[in-house]
Amino acid sequence: MIDLNRTVSEKKNFFNRLIIIYTFFGLLFLYFLYKTFSLQVSSYTDYEIAALENKTREILVQPRRGIIFDRNGKILVNNVPSYNLIISPSQIDDLDSLLDQIQPIVSLSDEDIDYVNKNYQSRAKLNRELIIKRNLTIEEIAKFEIRQHRFPGVLIDERYVRENLYPNLFSHSVGYVGNIDDNKLEEILFEQELQPKETIFKYSNGHLIGQTGLESVYDSDLRGSFGKKIYEVDASGKLLREIEEVQELDGKNIYTSLDLETQKVAYKQLNNRRGAVVAVDIRNGAIVSYLSSPSFSVNKIANGLSNKEFQKLLNDKNKPFFDRAAQGRYSPASTIKPAIGLYGLESKIINWDYFINDPGFFILPEDERIFRGWKKGGHGNINLNNAIIESSNTFFFSLAYKSDINELIGFLSNFGFGKNICVDCFLPDKGLLPNPKWKMNNLNFGWAKGDTVNLGVGQGYMSATPLQLAYYAALLANKGTLNEFSFVQDGEGTEKNNLISININDNDWEKIHQSMIGVIESPKGTAKRLRQLRDFTIAAKSGTVELVSTETKEDYKIIREVEEQRDHAIIVAFGPMPNPKYAVSVVIENGESGGSVAGPVAIAVLNNLLKE
Amino acid sequence: MNKLFKSKIYFDQYLFIAITLLSIMGLVFLYSASQENFETTFKQSFFVIFGLILMFALSQPDPDFYKNNSLIFLVLSILLVILTLLIGKEVNGAKRWLDLGLFTLQSSEVIKISLPVFLAAYLYDKTLPINLSHTFIALILIFFVVNLVRIQPDLGTSLVIFIAGVYILFLAGLSWRFIGVSFGIFILSLPFIWNNLLMPFQRQRVLTLLDPSADPYGSGWNITQSKIAIGSGGIQGKGYQQGSQAHLDFLPETETDFIFSVIAEEFGFIGVCILLLVFFFILFRCLYLALNARDRFCRLTIGGLSLLFISTIFINLAMVVGIIPVVGMPLPFISKGGSSLLSFYIAFGIIISMATHKKLMQK
Repeated sequence: MIDLNRTVSEKKNFFNRLIIIYTFFGLLFLYFLYKTFSLQVSSYTDYEIAALENKTREILVQPRRGIIFDRNGKILVNNVPSYNLIISPSQIDDLDSLLDQIQPIVSLSDEDIDYVNKNYQSRAKLNRELIIKRNLTIEEIAKFEIRQHRFPGVLIDERYVRENLYPNLFSHSVGYVGNIDDNKLEEILFEQELQPKETIFKYSNGHLIGQTGLESVYDSDLRGSFGKKIYEVDASGKLLREIEEVQELDGKNIYTSLDLETQKVAYKQLNNRRGAVVAVDIRNGAIVSYLSSPSFSVNKIANGLSNKEFQKLLNDKNKPFFDRAAQGRYSPASTIKPAIGLYGLESKIINWDYFINDPGFFILPEDERIFRGWKKGGHGNINLNNAIIESSNTFFFSLAYKSDINELIGFLSNFGFGKNICVDCFLPDKGLLPNPKWKMNNLNFGWAKGDTVNLGVGQGYMSATPLQLAYYAALLANKGTLNEFSFVQDGEGTEKNNLISININDNDWEKIHQSMIGVIESPKGTAKRLRQLRDFTIAAKSGTVELVSTETKEDYKIIREVEEQRDHAIIVAFGPMPNPKYAVSVVIENGESGGSVAGPVAIAVLNNLLKE
Repeated sequence: MNKLFKSKIYFDQYLFIAITLLSIMGLVFLYSASQENFETTFKQSFFVIFGLILMFALSQPDPDFYKNNSLIFLVLSILLVILTLLIGKEVNGAKRWLDLGLFTLQSSEVIKISLPVFLAAYLYDKTLPINLSHTFIALILIFFVVNLVRIQPDLGTSLVIFIAGVYILFLAGLSWRFIGVSFGIFILSLPFIWNNLLMPFQRQRVLTLLDPSADPYGSGWNITQSKIAIGSGGIQGKGYQQGSQAHLDFLPETETDFIFSVIAEEFGFIGVCILLLVFFFILFRCLYLALNARDRFCRLTIGGLSLLFISTIFINLAMVVGIIPVVGMPLPFISKGGSSLLSFYIAFGIIISMATHKKLMQK
């Protein structure tokens, strides 16, 4: 009985305990089921996406950059194919014997072979291609192609290099491309709702971006849009099959107003001297020639330049990288005189019949400081017309002396000085149009009357870039109205600036033009030598930028022993007169004579532009 | 008396049908999980057929046969484990397999069965609830066996063996006070276990469980990919052989530890529920049989073995959904692996024997 009771209680105890464990596990399974439910039902979308992202791999397809044309449709920058020998490692069994067989057809350097050996395994595993030799020669291509059947898994792949067909002519205007930094790449891809990742490149050099000039300014147009290929991949990243493709969109072509032939003329004329030429169509502000000299080959920069070569360019004392056209600061010197004259007319300080006596110097009444002209003995009794033709300093010293400095500066600023007048130039400098406030802030001196007098002949603090000088010339040519400059004109045209003027009429403009024609055509003109060179009637104003102030010609002879101390030669010109179409500015550093050194360059450029 | 009726066949149709169904489902799942590897599936189906025959054969002897020979079985299996430690085949730094020529035997799978059977037999004639001295004897044996397996190292199986042994003691009426004190000691010694008994990779697995996103491509890879596989299966699943996680190699160990993830990916929540229903059916049948067992030995054995089964299932499932750390644990009747598969056929063979052999006088 006791035994039986025991058995019953033991059984009961056993049942209870077994039920306890079963219940315990029942609860655990419920929790498991809840967990599975939340994975499969509640969070299904998240995991569905995660699984999809796991098994797909997006690969970007690089677009080709747009082509850059000159105004006559001649290609300036193109994408030129280059050919690489590539292998598909996953299809190749014996790499060493393959390389041995290829060697006599396409010579491989030890470096090439090292690269292949190093990357072969990983590419094979991931089913990717591997470049074994870049930039095949035509001979190598031909030799390989007739033997191609012997090499399954080896093929020739077309890639592009960005090539400027005239690499030294457009170094600063069109600029060059280079590799892109990671942040910028991310930014660009982000605009397309993409992220940096594995890319099928169209260019041998990988991701490209415009670094300078139009390549940079119009980068977003030239660039195009990346395409993508979506592949199914396994966990190791091996490509299994293509699922989807979004075609890449090549960049837009850019049609510039640059004129190849004129650029060639300007380049030949400057002949690697330090200087700049800017020529524009005054009717729409279109830049037709833009040259900074000396220049450099953009192709070498874009497609790989050895560090040594690069350092050599960088340390060249002539500074080939420096864009003198848009960033070189030069005193306008005597070229400013027509503008000062116009100011005199505008402010009614002078009229066309106003004469002064020019003894060859101007004495500042305040401190009796002497401001000299370039001609000993002076120009005698002289009016505005002759003061421009003969480039009398005294006339403009005295005119400036009588002017209100703030009014004068306001007037000069209408000509584009001290501001940016180009819509698509690469990093243009604004030059400097000084004013009393500027002098106080920067030099800690008050504005002196002498500063105003100096401004009258374009010397002193004022400086302008060749681009601004061209703008000034074009504004003179176009009688006070002008579009902002541009390399690329769309349908609408750039903003039109108007010289705000009350007292200058068409007659005054005609007379200014006549004076500037006189600079070349008059026997007394400072650039009369250009008469033999010009094919059309040209209006001009030359200038000579004093770098070192000297009292006498003898003093100058001493300082000119050092080339860097010689005066800069400068000229602005436009034609054909009386209905000008083009304006040009030329600066030749240390060229000494505006009329006879810079002048011939300007004439040659205008002759070429006008001959059609 | 019964020996006269040799012609009688001992057979539990519920368990037999359910286990056969589960085995067939397992083969179907394995074919997809092994990337349609015919050889793997064929080999597994051989084990399934052999296992079913073995299960049937093992359900024929009277339970007393197991009771009387339990010590021999235990000693034999301990020897196997020791032999494994000495001359076992080393795979990935673990010595778990004995090469028997025809197939490699995972010795821990054998002792997983023989230990609870021995304990049940040992307690057969002791006074219950179990007293302290028997508890200690049993515990020493359990710890000895568990440790033999742990140093292979096979943490998962050693855990299951430990649990199975403790179940028997618990079912034999281990006092609540003892349980409470042990649990307290266990909690207090957790830092010691963490620092001294766990291998660095095992510690890493625990840390990974707590935050799988800390290193999703390293130690967190398995569990991250498993969750993606299960989650992306949704309600209906991606379809048989359509699981991208399984077929594009994102999921690790698809044939063994993570086969459930493949099932969940390809058959969805519905498939998961159906699979669980089959498991539950077997478990409840075991519960019923344990409650109606003819004597203490049978009760304890059925209880212990069914709890071994339930623990194995739960550890595997909890692992793949990220409830517990990753431990090597197959899903019974589904995962690839002959030893594990056969061990459960053996277990159910013994259970059926105990359920079908009745005594006139129940003890």
